[in-house]
Amino acid sequence: MRILIADDEPVSLRMLEKTLERAGYEVTAVRDGRAAIKELCSPEGPRLALLDWMMPEFDGPAVCREVRRQRGGRHVHLVLLTSKNSKQEVVSGLESGADDYLIKPFDPDELKARLHTGLRILQLEDNLVEAREEMLYKATHDSLTSLLNRGTIVELLARELTRTRRESGCTIAVLGDLDHFKLVNDTFGHMVGDEVLREVAKRLLSSVRSYDFVGRYGGEEFLLVINNCDAMKALERAEEIRTAICRAPIDTSRGPLAVTVSIGVIASRGRALETVEEFLCEVDRALYAAKSAGRNCCREAGFEI
Amino acid sequence: MIEASKFVSRDALIERFVDLPDLLARIENDRELLTELFAMFQEEVPVLQAALHEATNTGDLAQTAAAAHTLKGMLANMSMKKGASMAASIEAAARSENETAIKLTLAALDSEIADLSSAVDAFVAG
Repeated sequence: MRILIADDEPVSLRMLEKTLERAGYEVTAVRDGRAAIKELCSPEGPRLALLDWMMPEFDGPAVCREVRRQRGGRHVHLVLLTSKNSKQEVVSGLESGADDYLIKPFDPDELKARLHTGLRILQLEDNLVEAREEMLYKATHDSLTSLLNRGTIVELLARELTRTRRESGCTIAVLGDLDHFKLVNDTFGHMVGDEVLREVAKRLLSSVRSYDFVGRYGGEEFLLVINNCDAMKALERAEEIRTAICRAPIDTSRGPLAVTVSIGVIASRGRALETVEEFLCEVDRALYAAKSAGRNCCREAGFEI
Repeated sequence: MIEASKFVSRDALIERFVDLPDLLARIENDRELLTELFAMFQEEVPVLQAALHEATNTGDLAQTAAAAHTLKGMLANMSMKKGASMAASIEAAARSENETAIKLTLAALDSEIADLSSAVDAFVAG
């Protein structure tokens, strides 16, 4: 674990450094508050710090205040080192944003015990952040395919439409529906159906650029949001995606299965559609046209013939 | 045995000024570090003393308190308890604006530091 120590008095700094190194910490030692702030506020800065109270320019409490102000994200555990021990002074140190304090000259066992407390708090925070990120992922992704879920992909489409309208750009939405997918489920079972959906998701992801978005729109329906694309090439892009899906049979536990997809596509440029719902309605019509045309083909909204 | 007896004689000399068992306990009996810290102390103490004298000479009480505080911290860290106590008295006198007490204690502190520096020199020289 990395730890920052800040003290303008070199003897104290060296004693701390050596004690902490022996305890297994990776120590960054600085001689003033300004350097401490710089280190602690850098993106990969230490998350544990021992700060001497009395330092020129930025004292320990000032460092605490500045770190709390600048580094809003992950918690940094700040411990003030002080020979001040009146209640009023301790309270003022803690109110500046310090998590704990230690009276100088420090006792090495007490120092290590207090830092252990800090580590437990940081570990707890890490666990909470991890749990929050996992929940966020689950709330925004489809559990079967790991693609974005319907709510998220529609929200992203709305955001992209707003952005491209503002920047006079073009967003393309591609809505694909696997052909005769019910037959796959009915014939081979839902497990095989799930295998097909997972492989289609992979093929879709590899058919677009890293900054495009792919989501599961419904059971066997997928919505792709393609940014900064030439409106004239919308149908061409849709055709490339269709080919990527059906280029080879999908290997399943019940053997290879040939899968095709019908696609509706729409480009935002030149359209006076006000809402994302209207946009989706138009691309859904194009998909319906592709289905009506015999499936395994693409149709662009407004060009359904 | 030779090494142990050498430590005993060195320790006896320095213990007039330094609570050596306390200091050794706080640095986890690291004798190499002890020598290193004494060397650093010898380099730093004149700098801190000079800062304290400058502050008292100019009558800057806030600066006197700050310089005495830093010196007190270093002396306390080195378990030089008598010296630390004198520096603490100067800090308190500066905060209560008692210039007479500052001058009297500063003279005593200078003498204490001169003696303990000689003892530290002798200790480091072995």
